[in-house]
Amino acid sequence: MNIKKWKSIGTVLGETNIDHFYFSLKNYKAKKGDIITTESKIPSSEGNVVPVTVWGKISSIESSNAFFPTEAAQELTNENIDIRDTILPTTRDELICKVIILGYTLKDNLKLMPLNYPVRPAAPVSYPSSEDVEALLISDLGSEHPLFIGSLLARDAVKIRIDADNLVSRHVSIFGMSGSGKTVMVRRIMDELLKKQYPMVVLDIHGDYLGFIQKQKKMYPNNNVKLFYPNLSVNAEDKEIIYTLIDKLGNTLTDPQKDFLSSLLEKVKYDEGSLLKYIEKLIYKAREFASDSSKSFKNIRPASMYVVIRSLGQVSKKLKNMEQTNFRHRQRMSKLKFEELPDAATEPEKIVSKGQLSILYLKGYENLPASAIVSILLENLFRHRQEVEEEIPPFLTIIEEAHNFIPSRSEDKDNIPSVETIRKVITEGRKFGTGIMIISQRPSRLDETIASQCNSQIVFRMVNQKDQRATTRDSETLSVDDSKQLPNLANGQGIISGQVVNFSLPVQIKFDEQLINDDIGNENFISAVENWDDKESVKQRKKFAKDFSNISSIDRRRAN
Amino acid sequence: MSNEIEIKNKIKNNSSLFTNFVRNAVNASPKVQNNFLEVGAQVALTIKKLLEDANLITELEYKGKDFWAENRCKTACFVDGGVDKTSIISSAPLSIRTGSYIVKPDAPEKNREFFEESMVFLGDLYDPKNELYDFTDDDFEEDQMLNKKKDGARIIFEAVTIVKHILLTRKFDYCFLHGPIEATVMPFTVLGFPTFTKFAVENMLPYYNKSNLNAEARHFINVYLEALNCIKKSKFPIYGIVETSSSSPYIKNLLYSYKSKGTISEKDFKNTLSTIKKYKITDSHLLEIILKNGQALKPLEIKKQISGFNVTNGSAWESKIDSFPSVQMGYIKVNDHSAPIRIESLSLSENIIKDYEYILATARLLPNYGFPVGLNVVDKFAKIPNWMSKASRKYYATHLLKQAIKSKDQNTISLAVKILSKKVRSWKNRPLGGLAR
Repeated sequence: MNIKKWKSIGTVLGETNIDHFYFSLKNYKAKKGDIITTESKIPSSEGNVVPVTVWGKISSIESSNAFFPTEAAQELTNENIDIRDTILPTTRDELICKVIILGYTLKDNLKLMPLNYPVRPAAPVSYPSSEDVEALLISDLGSEHPLFIGSLLARDAVKIRIDADNLVSRHVSIFGMSGSGKTVMVRRIMDELLKKQYPMVVLDIHGDYLGFIQKQKKMYPNNNVKLFYPNLSVNAEDKEIIYTLIDKLGNTLTDPQKDFLSSLLEKVKYDEGSLLKYIEKLIYKAREFASDSSKSFKNIRPASMYVVIRSLGQVSKKLKNMEQTNFRHRQRMSKLKFEELPDAATEPEKIVSKGQLSILYLKGYENLPASAIVSILLENLFRHRQEVEEEIPPFLTIIEEAHNFIPSRSEDKDNIPSVETIRKVITEGRKFGTGIMIISQRPSRLDETIASQCNSQIVFRMVNQKDQRATTRDSETLSVDDSKQLPNLANGQGIISGQVVNFSLPVQIKFDEQLINDDIGNENFISAVENWDDKESVKQRKKFAKDFSNISSIDRRRAN
Repeated sequence: MSNEIEIKNKIKNNSSLFTNFVRNAVNASPKVQNNFLEVGAQVALTIKKLLEDANLITELEYKGKDFWAENRCKTACFVDGGVDKTSIISSAPLSIRTGSYIVKPDAPEKNREFFEESMVFLGDLYDPKNELYDFTDDDFEEDQMLNKKKDGARIIFEAVTIVKHILLTRKFDYCFLHGPIEATVMPFTVLGFPTFTKFAVENMLPYYNKSNLNAEARHFINVYLEALNCIKKSKFPIYGIVETSSSSPYIKNLLYSYKSKGTISEKDFKNTLSTIKKYKITDSHLLEIILKNGQALKPLEIKKQISGFNVTNGSAWESKIDSFPSVQMGYIKVNDHSAPIRIESLSLSENIIKDYEYILATARLLPNYGFPVGLNVVDKFAKIPNWMSKASRKYYATHLLKQAIKSKDQNTISLAVKILSKKVRSWKNRPLGGLAR
């Protein structure tokens, strides 16, 4: 580190403390988010005074021109005068920067230490070279497995890496508005982890990660990238989940009807396999009990049983529809090879193995069934990690649209099966190597316990104040100044904080264009409509519709 | 609306005159209260007639955008001084500086504007070795005349700053000083007012009387006169601009000229002057009523230094006072709601109306305050900020206390504390009682 080569860009102002200081900045010499330094002295534990380099991050910049009176602006506006034609001063802007102190380093050691003595007022402020900033960040991170994710927002030349070990074990949350760069960030992390052969399970609702399948041969020849569609099968011991599914997906049941459903589930043995078949079986058996009510269920009237039967029919229909919808979406991507999700209880290695990326394509499924599927999957995989034999290696679960799987209590969505499972996995995950990455555009709608267990956060543009508050509430390291910056971030710009970095950093995420799913397209709907041409079947329908309409209009015997 | 009614209405709406009216209403007799409005209106009406008769009122043209587009090539310099207000009993620190704001709007950004700290003095007026005033010539050391010395220093610094620009042959189209171009020198003619040091004079006016810088040559009156004579000869127009006038030199001179011509009688002249004095009517008051937005009064030649006062009478400076140049004084009414600004110069420019229009345009950039914005800018630049004054006070206080504590004498320490306390009756000076005694 060659301090003498750093350019002087300002002077520390009068009052300082150990958390932050202000400095007067030379015009155009630094911007918000930049890392700067100032030389200072601190008392050492041996009683000496030692020179140190204090590092800080510019968290805000204010500009003012004390020589430009407000009322002059009024005249310029009213008379449409160009200020450059007048005698008004235009070059006396005063720039005051607020700097959040990151810590100090000693001459020969780039490890950041917390500052415990205020910086010297009137000291010069320097702009360290990009190499030195990068060296500090790498050295300070001290990571055995750094992951490259992008560059420092204010300085393109400073590459940013995060710590993979903390990422996969201590959980991470990624928040931001739709289109702000969350998926770009996740794809970046996945790319890096795949190169390290780290297994991942992705719960993909929109098909954002199908690009990994398309580009596997070219980009990840040493990895196994699998694409699964859900299989609605449960274990016999997961009857609780079956009950919840039927209860929530079906009609609202009264207490006696619920009793009947509960008893029905007890009496009808589940052979494991397709859930739909089991529901058909339940309907069949329930009909039997209804016609023979006096024997098996003395206290329940047949009418109540028929309500349950109708409800079961409703559930069956809904599940079939969801399966169909998912199937149709899969058909659209005929080039991709979809496989049925293996049974996580008996064949976990087919889902989690070294170098494997398993993408579970959930498109078409409503929240509740999707939640049930995820709950069963994670429960089983976690159990395998808990066992002494460890049939599967540590892995990372990536949960897209996490508010669907871990809604906040205030959402009033009781008994979403995945909440309990994810809560358990996230709490104990550090011990068993089952890290979780939650991704959401609505952090305020997430379960608070789960969100607060994420030790690292990556936050992108966020305008909703409720979501901003939730983000800072759940984070120990995201400052108020950082949260103020959130609405102004551009696409792909985010703030990383927590244990994957040592201090919060504004970052421009590297965009991996090649990982976009080609089949999803670029959401350019206007062009799609401009080039739209009705399909032949639609054309025919429209043609005949006119003829039928004519018949209707002259048919006077028809009502209305 | 007749002139009389219009003027009466204006008086009613004019805040500064109204303030005087209220003050009169409280203090003066009911008779005076009753006729104040009538007197004010009548004086204004009469003065307006005289101004119209002398063709002194002129309309200035102002076309904001077009004006600045045409005048962006002109270089203007604005000068102002700032003095530190620090005062403590044990010392007389003086920090003074003059700043210049020089701007050429159409120049490239790098050369568009300059802020110069043209003159600086930091010292203590109790210090016999200070570099500004020579106390060996100070016959009355016990009468320190601190405020006068500070004023004298500020006035001379401002004048000398302009001289410096002239000597450096700066190519200005205009130069403006915040304040009168020629200050009244009478207060500095008192006996015992110290002279400047040789060092100070040599620095302020390097060309001046090199061979014989004796005490007389170094006196404020001579040094200031020298500076003014230099300013008078300047090739670029130089104007002193005053925000509000607390006296009535323009009106009095106008009346005097009409008296001299015989247009008004000696009696009327004296009575009117007496009325103006009695009702505390100033140029600002009257002209605010008489002039309309964008109107100006053409300059009148006015003698600022008038001999024959008690103070100067018989003093060695009586004759010197007559040597001071007379001043060309005019007024510009910038907007409807503020008093006209006073424009002073030592010579009469050939393009006086164009110059006034330039001043009006710079003042219109402060549409409410109605004062040339360049002077507002340099005022902020030259002002000694509070934080600097505070720091300087703290430094003096610490130094004084350290010296007192060093002496280990309880009475000296107690005195130092008393000196530093702002009020004698502050808690620090309360009599001690009980065990504490």
